[in-house]
Amino acid sequence: MKPFEYYEPASLAEASDLLRRLGKDASIIAGGTDLLVEMKEELRSVLHVVNIKKIPNLRNFTYDPAAGLRFGALVTVREVETSPHVIGNYPNLAKAVSLLGSVQVRNRATIVGNICRASPSADTIPPLIADGASLSVYDGGADRTILLEDFFTGPGRTVLSPGDIVTGISLPAPGPTSGRAYIKHGRRKAMELATVGVAVSIEHVAGQCSDVRIALGAVAPTVIRARRTEDLLRGRRIDAALLAEAAESAMQEATPIGNVRASAAYRRDMVGVLTRRAIGYAMGGAR
Amino acid sequence: MNTYERIDRDLSDRDFTVVGKSVKRSDTLEKVTGTARYAGDVALPGMLHAKMKRSNVAHARIRSIDTSKALALKGVKAVLTHQDVPRVLHAGSPHPRSASVTRDQYILDDRVRYWGEGVAAVAAVSEEIAERAVALIEVEYEPLPGLFTIEAASEPGAPPIHENGLDRNHVLPPVFVTRGDVDKGFAEADLILEREYDLGRPTPAYMEPNVCVSQWDGNGKLTMWTSTQSAFMVRGTLAEVLGVPLNKVRVVVDHMGGGFGAKQDLFQNEFLCALLARQTGRPVRMEFSRKETFLGGRSRHPGKIWLKQGFTKDGRIVAREARVTFNSGAYGSHGPGVTNVGTAALTSLYRCENVRLEGRCIYTNSPIAGAFRGYGVVQTYYALDLMMDEAAEKLGFDPAEFKLMNAVREGDIAPSGHPIVGHGLGDCIRRVMEETNWHELRRREKPESVKRRGIGIGCEMHGSSAYPGIKEQGNAIVKMNEDGTVTLITGTAGLGTGAHTALSQIVAEELGVPFEAVSVVQGDTDIVPWDIGAFASHTTYLGGRAAQLAAADVRRQVLEHAAPLLQAEPADLAIRDGFVVVTSGSNRSIRLSEAVGPKRGMPAMQLVGVGTYMPTKSYSFAAHFAEVEVDTETGEVAVLEVVPVHEIGRVIHPIAAAGQIEGGIQQGIGHTLSEDYVIDLTDGRSLNPSFVDYKMPLSMDMPSIRTIILETAPDPGGPYGAKGVGEDPIIAIGPAIANAIYDAIGVRFHHYPITPEQVLNALKSKANETRQ
Repeated sequence: MKPFEYYEPASLAEASDLLRRLGKDASIIAGGTDLLVEMKEELRSVLHVVNIKKIPNLRNFTYDPAAGLRFGALVTVREVETSPHVIGNYPNLAKAVSLLGSVQVRNRATIVGNICRASPSADTIPPLIADGASLSVYDGGADRTILLEDFFTGPGRTVLSPGDIVTGISLPAPGPTSGRAYIKHGRRKAMELATVGVAVSIEHVAGQCSDVRIALGAVAPTVIRARRTEDLLRGRRIDAALLAEAAESAMQEATPIGNVRASAAYRRDMVGVLTRRAIGYAMGGAR
Repeated sequence: MNTYERIDRDLSDRDFTVVGKSVKRSDTLEKVTGTARYAGDVALPGMLHAKMKRSNVAHARIRSIDTSKALALKGVKAVLTHQDVPRVLHAGSPHPRSASVTRDQYILDDRVRYWGEGVAAVAAVSEEIAERAVALIEVEYEPLPGLFTIEAASEPGAPPIHENGLDRNHVLPPVFVTRGDVDKGFAEADLILEREYDLGRPTPAYMEPNVCVSQWDGNGKLTMWTSTQSAFMVRGTLAEVLGVPLNKVRVVVDHMGGGFGAKQDLFQNEFLCALLARQTGRPVRMEFSRKETFLGGRSRHPGKIWLKQGFTKDGRIVAREARVTFNSGAYGSHGPGVTNVGTAALTSLYRCENVRLEGRCIYTNSPIAGAFRGYGVVQTYYALDLMMDEAAEKLGFDPAEFKLMNAVREGDIAPSGHPIVGHGLGDCIRRVMEETNWHELRRREKPESVKRRGIGIGCEMHGSSAYPGIKEQGNAIVKMNEDGTVTLITGTAGLGTGAHTALSQIVAEELGVPFEAVSVVQGDTDIVPWDIGAFASHTTYLGGRAAQLAAADVRRQVLEHAAPLLQAEPADLAIRDGFVVVTSGSNRSIRLSEAVGPKRGMPAMQLVGVGTYMPTKSYSFAAHFAEVEVDTETGEVAVLEVVPVHEIGRVIHPIAAAGQIEGGIQQGIGHTLSEDYVIDLTDGRSLNPSFVDYKMPLSMDMPSIRTIILETAPDPGGPYGAKGVGEDPIIAIGPAIANAIYDAIGVRFHHYPITPEQVLNALKSKANETRQ
């Protein structure tokens, strides 16, 4: 590991100011489960590490049946995984976070950290996008809100500028007709990166889809919405033929690469299978 | 849920007090409290930290190395290149009594033969500075053509990777094994099958990375703490290559975090560490990163097996012909041993009188393949067992019945040339069938669902000890203490398998003292008797027998010593539960401590027993049942249940033996379904030298395992009949899974690992064929 300077700002204003001055060689540390590994293995050059754990009010966690879920940047993956509100209302997110790393990692890692790392294969991102999550960003002035699906610009890249700090994330409350699912495809059941991840959030009544959001992970430079597939499903009755059509459509929307984990063709195939299955699970089908 | 308690005691000819009991392992407390000392824990005053510079080309001559910037970095104390180290050709597999070692390595050479080979080393005041200095070393390479596959390297006229006098990059002259008349056998056959099997490149991925610490004392003596399975081999090789007398090298290894065979080699690090320590006059430590354990480590031999067999309608094998070709990687390491053992294994397991086998091992510019649990037999029995499954179907036999009909049995000549003792393999197959209701399961309806289940059986046998390839010897000293406790001084290394617990049990049993009365001294070449190393499933078999002999020797002395005190003949005495007792015509007894302790102020005589055992060979057997579920839409294969039945002669510690079996199954599942260390065939670069992309199954991926251990064919040479168990489980599980996949989806694979993508593609091809 290369030497670095370490900072512990006491307020958001101080942190933002510091990050703006230090520029692109600075990195925020919260859980550190990605950052420290990357620094130790010198995959990333970080000269300044800014710890935000001394900043108050970043650990809030609230759920309201009308307003939905909101939690701060320091909330850990494990807190979200074990929250009855998440398990009851956001089963796709609950599933995804339970598959991130190990329990030890989840005890330290934060959801916002996983998001800001901007990995195309991040487990938390597809369900959050499918559920319409948005981020609160502090930049020294008034908080601005960024829809999560507009947040990413490429692998490891986001719309944030130096001085921007994501302070929290909020998700709308699910409606009474919501169905949700996340399926991760990996080479083993735990301690694994997603080869493909598919999250579905669907509004349905009596087999009829009124609205749907599908997010695909690890098959494009960022997690993507499968918008054409969503259009295909919206307003229609979900049956086996439509599911097959949706699977085919999602496969066309994915632009996967091939690497040592899986070939592009296999990833594309899995987008089809997993999209079909995830819609089925979200509609209440057997797993 | 895994069960260990179902231990069969089919052959108990005597009652045991300690042997056969799962006593609390002697290393439990120190391991759970974190106080057990591993080589990496050694910290000495003034210690420097070393790092290796590794090549980023696969095959090249080194035109120049510029170390000036590295040396100029503050905190750097020494840099070594090939110009600064002794140039002594030595073997990577340093077994002095083996005829098959290949002297083809230098500490550092002016040429690199694989991507990641060490070309220089730095010692600095911290690991970070050493790493930075490594990055500052500039190496200019003159590229040589890269030969990354067996095919490329063994083409006529292929440029030699080593100048060993053999053509087409052979590591050793081809191995030929012939029995009977193969042509006559094929002429009699009703069915002839011919297949080629393709073998992946799994790595041992031991938990503890290679690490060593070197220190020279004022008298010019080197102490080397290192994570090795064969401390005495390291001592011998260091002395030879560094040019110092043997008694000026001391190798210490307390605990190890696994080795699986690979840590029999030296990994450049021991030499470089020792030389850096000598040059700087300070202790030097070098620890591999996880990436380095891949780059500079040892894998199982990848390769190809062409196998052809002739069968008769009544289910006999009348001819077997095979060409085994292993990819050795850039150096010979255990290539000769693996080629000999893996090829010769094809003479057996399933009986066949007419056998013609050819084994080859080829240098390529890829990572070094070495010794690894299963030692060539994983590969060849995978091919053999898969073909048996296929033949059974074509001939109309149940696969388990077919394997049973042809199972090697008492008196058959084993690969080593010895007659087989007992009917271990048949016993294992029969027990698997009973235990799993095999025939009932085979008759089960198979719905055409998305997820399909299948069952399979895989078989194996494996030798305890490396004879006849290596002439081995185990040694032990048992020292009687004045309070009636004993100290076992053994050369047997502890890889983490519980070997020292098993050896202590044997000593306790033989001496008639409680298990707790035995303590173990091990892991220091200056103290313990010579040992060849912990490998070849022989620690209990060989080291255990030596310990038993040493214990018997000290018991004889104790009884002679006690005879006058009990006014009896030594022949009428025994030691039971810490007492010396008269066994005939009296019930007189004295405490062992009275017999051997000080009397009337006079110190006691020191009683020491010595045991030396030179084994020949014995074979352990196993049959594994596996049930799998194949997802026909994703190609994923889940192993749902494994029932391993092992015949190991005598179980010393049931939980430890079951642990070996479960661990082997875990590794074997990985090898069969996911683990493959992948090389870019355009430049020889490693594509997945990390646990991010080299995936071993973890606890969540493990099926239920019902372990059954049989004691139906004890070996007369092993302690109380015990044979080895370390390597066996990893051999049988692969074919069990592959055969179960066939049962599930009707596709026969001829390679490993069988990845989801390949399963899916095979299913697509099958569907297309059906449609056409």
